[in-house]
Amino acid sequence: MGSAVSTRQTTRLRVNGTAIEVACPPERILLDLLREELNLTGSKRGCDLGTCGCCTVWVDGRPVLSCLTLARLVDGHDVTTIEGIASPGGLSTLQKAFVEHGATQCGFCTPGFVMTGTALLRDHPGASRAEIERAIAGNLCRCTGYLKIVEAIQAAGRESA
Amino acid sequence: MHLDPFELHRPTTVDETVDLAGRLAPDVDYLAGGTDLLPNYKMHLNVRANLIALEDVSELRGISLDRVGAMVRLADLEADAAFAASFPGVVAAAREVATPLVRASGTLGGNLLVETRCFFFNQSLPWRESLGYCLKADGDRCHVVPQKVKCYATFSGDIAPALAVVDAEVEVAGPSGRRRLPVSRLYDPVGDGIHRHKLAAGELIVAVHFPPESRGLKATYRKLRIRPSFDFPELGVAVAARQDAGGRISRLALSLGGLETYPRRFDDLTEPMVGTVPTPATVRALADEVQKRVRPVHNTFLAPEYRKKMAGVFVRRATAEVLGVPESSP
Repeated sequence: MGSAVSTRQTTRLRVNGTAIEVACPPERILLDLLREELNLTGSKRGCDLGTCGCCTVWVDGRPVLSCLTLARLVDGHDVTTIEGIASPGGLSTLQKAFVEHGATQCGFCTPGFVMTGTALLRDHPGASRAEIERAIAGNLCRCTGYLKIVEAIQAAGRESA
Repeated sequence: MHLDPFELHRPTTVDETVDLAGRLAPDVDYLAGGTDLLPNYKMHLNVRANLIALEDVSELRGISLDRVGAMVRLADLEADAAFAASFPGVVAAAREVATPLVRASGTLGGNLLVETRCFFFNQSLPWRESLGYCLKADGDRCHVVPQKVKCYATFSGDIAPALAVVDAEVEVAGPSGRRRLPVSRLYDPVGDGIHRHKLAAGELIVAVHFPPESRGLKATYRKLRIRPSFDFPELGVAVAARQDAGGRISRLALSLGGLETYPRRFDDLTEPMVGTVPTPATVRALADEVQKRVRPVHNTFLAPEYRKKMAGVFVRRATAEVLGVPESSP
């Protein structure tokens, strides 16, 4: 079982506000569509199994794991990636806070944290430390020990509250 | 990692879905949130040529105090304050599933049917190939209990035990119509162990139904795992109870998941406690008996001896918490 010849189908979605039309086979993962076809390489492939959160993007504003999302199933939906979080060349409040607090070391996990953290502060601008820690539970960082990431999100929350 | 090619189907009604599954069986899987199925597909575990996405089937949606649709995202269930007020143990369990990112996509029905897990199953293709595969995927023997031709993979859903103790029922649609069965009877304690649920080919969980008399039960869910913000359960204990003003128990149920091959209730131990006023000693006796009975095997991260002992500790703590009695010291 399990050997099929899949057929491509036109998939229409909005990525960072731009309408995209692309022929997708059913097994195309959203992360691959973004990185390989749309050249949006900010979303990272970490574990590729939903464990690390490096591939986090928003679908209709909700942070999801793009490595476990079939591209065809976001047909008709809005996708936001790290590239769409600030104006080109600029940085968002949270991105600036990451820089100021040294919340980035190797940087590989940072796009995922920014996507999760931005959505948290949008929905809960005054999020407590415990709420922040709970919200980023699915984003793994192997450098910072999380302290500076939590502080950066807290600081950005205070600024935007 | 890549996914092997498959055909993706997107029905919009339950009838259409079940009909499609019947025609494509057995080379088909349902796709709900994808957070369990797609990692397994990427690991080339029991891949099928057809996926039926349940995304567009509107009947599988909706949250009320009587019914939660199978495609309700766990993130939406945990955010529903009215539901949480009536079924606190169910929401507590939902909040313990994996991470917020997984719960954003993961669904109630998906967690009920989450694939059982084992060291020898949840591995890459080359890893499994080098060992000659296992009963649950591509092989003919169990590496955990080699003397038996039976799969011992661990049931790893968090929500089923919490649903079982409030007497929730699953509504199932299939080729021969619809039926309802208690969550506690959705799972198969016998058989070959490879599939641990009693759904027939093509059957689909439509929703979970909640009896009105279970609203407002005192309930809790306690979970043992290595990383408290992340992992599958090494043990999950759900307790729900009701007591009169004098503390006398009018209802008590206990269910354990994450420990054995299916979530298990212990009605023969809890029912004799109905009508009694619980004490630290009676709670302890319950916990000791549960600990004596459970039989974890060595197929998860923590040693089975430890998980067995923790079953006693967690049952004692969870039951004491729900019944409002002080915990007896070990």
